[in-house]
Amino acid sequence: MRLPRFFGKKRGERRTGSQRWGSFGEAAFHGALVCAGVAFATLLASGVAVPEWRINHDFQPTRCRVRGTGLVRRTVEDPPGSFSTTWRPTVLVRYEAEGRQFESWSHSRGPASFGRATAAARLPSWPIGSEVPGWYDPSDPEMIVLERGYNWWMWLLALLLPGALLGFGMTGLVRTARRWGRSEEAIAASTGLVDLLDPSRRPPAGAGVMPGVPACDDLVNSPGTVLRYRLPIESADTWTLFGLGLFAVLWNAVLAVLAVGAGLDLAGGRIDWLLIALLIPFAAIGCTGIVLFVRQLFLAAAVGTTQIEISDHPLRPGGRYDVLLAQSGAGTMHDLGLSLELEEQATFHQGTDTRTESLVVVQRPVRAWGLLQLDPTSRFEERMTVEIPVDTMHSFVTEHNAVRWRFVVRGKPSRWPAFVRVFPIIVHPRDTARQTSAAEPAPIGTVA
Amino acid sequence: MTSESFDRSRPTLRIDAQFDRLDRIYAPGAPLTARYWIAGIGQEQVRSIERSVDWYTEGKGEEDLGVHFFERIPPPSPTDAVVEGTVTTTLPASPLSYEGVIVKVRWCLRVRVFFTSGRDFVSEHVFAVGDLPPARPAAPATRIAPPVPVIRGEPT
Repeated sequence: MRLPRFFGKKRGERRTGSQRWGSFGEAAFHGALVCAGVAFATLLASGVAVPEWRINHDFQPTRCRVRGTGLVRRTVEDPPGSFSTTWRPTVLVRYEAEGRQFESWSHSRGPASFGRATAAARLPSWPIGSEVPGWYDPSDPEMIVLERGYNWWMWLLALLLPGALLGFGMTGLVRTARRWGRSEEAIAASTGLVDLLDPSRRPPAGAGVMPGVPACDDLVNSPGTVLRYRLPIESADTWTLFGLGLFAVLWNAVLAVLAVGAGLDLAGGRIDWLLIALLIPFAAIGCTGIVLFVRQLFLAAAVGTTQIEISDHPLRPGGRYDVLLAQSGAGTMHDLGLSLELEEQATFHQGTDTRTESLVVVQRPVRAWGLLQLDPTSRFEERMTVEIPVDTMHSFVTEHNAVRWRFVVRGKPSRWPAFVRVFPIIVHPRDTARQTSAAEPAPIGTVA
Repeated sequence: MTSESFDRSRPTLRIDAQFDRLDRIYAPGAPLTARYWIAGIGQEQVRSIERSVDWYTEGKGEEDLGVHFFERIPPPSPTDAVVEGTVTTTLPASPLSYEGVIVKVRWCLRVRVFFTSGRDFVSEHVFAVGDLPPARPAAPATRIAPPVPVIRGEPT
């Protein structure tokens, strides 16, 4: 008896298995999401959309005489054992509809209030004895409303859940349909919607000139002052500065809101000890955030900027290029070094986390300087020639894997912490003229 | 179960391939011709056959796949004991085959046989584009020379 295979198996160079059951499970999951989205959307349509639309389109206008006012109280048990009460204003009106006189309480619309006083504050809008416009239901003339219009905020909130369910579910279903019964190669080879609508527009094999090699448009759009291009910097310090600044602003904004609340309480003669106890550690963290941000900002400004310019881009293995290193700042730089590095980067899932691991596999020091006296009026500049190693990998970037070339400047100012500044570069594969032609072609026709 | 190892009555499917270079090392941009043979299909009905020239990543990261050449061909005649075919393509300039430490790039010829039962069988035949030596983790950073005082602009 053949049982369905729920997973694929890889054995050496061969893989076996069917993905149908996996795709079926995925389709069932996303189908359930779509069904839930449709159910919620139906509830929304019947509970909010249709009544509101009828009030605005079907209900007939009339004039109403206000006979009395009151509040509608609604108590619900949610969660079990916990009760909450909401209040809405309602108005007793007398009006004429379909040739007859009616007297009924108006149907309350608009947001409900959790406070009785808040709801009661709206009642003076309908003075007893006054005449106000109203709209009655022609199919049930006893049903009358004194307000019309659409509650867009409630619509937005109500659409959020079914919209998200439908969007997520439909996207998953389309993705599953695209993959249904297709191999991973067929999926990877397809060009998505273009392939689906017009297969003739599918790009031919090898259309991408250098697959996997990243574009270097962003690295050649800044001209250098001495050499052709100035390389952009990719410094962890910049992100640290940005992160610390963002943290300090957000944290202290929350702290300010809490502090204002506590201050108003104090002004009103009430002391909320719990809030004050919370404010003390919050204030300490906020102050620490500001101190760290200012320190990082000061370090970034004190060390001075580093710039690298290069004579050509993209680079090729075996190629020699002029490179200019410029360092501004003041004081003594105990160490300053430039190196050429190749870093591998792999992104993988570990449980529910996505992790990225990096490893430097080529690290070639280019030049180093010691006890460098920096002058704030003119920057330190040094021009040198750098050769890209011949037998090394070109720049390579895919969704989860990367091989990246970069210049790295490491410095140790005498009075400040050491810094590392990274300047990405793109290395293309070497020219194909250097063929691997040592091996003779084998005759086709026999199994090797 | 559908697994071949438990189904003794089913003949073992076998796919062999031969490349036009004995060492299976190709220069980027070079033409590639590979011939393959599918044997042992038995009584099971083949729905279609896919053949492709792909590159994929291996190592610590999730696998990424790139397809350079892809073709789906109609099923062979049920009377054929051995099905054979030829793939001819011109390789692109990149990516080169790479034996890194946590990232590896491999090229392969894949032949995938789909059966009407829904099962599929894939065979992968690895070859190399370029002849890069394997990478090794770099030694800890060292300076070229011990720092000595310099006058502005004078390297050590």
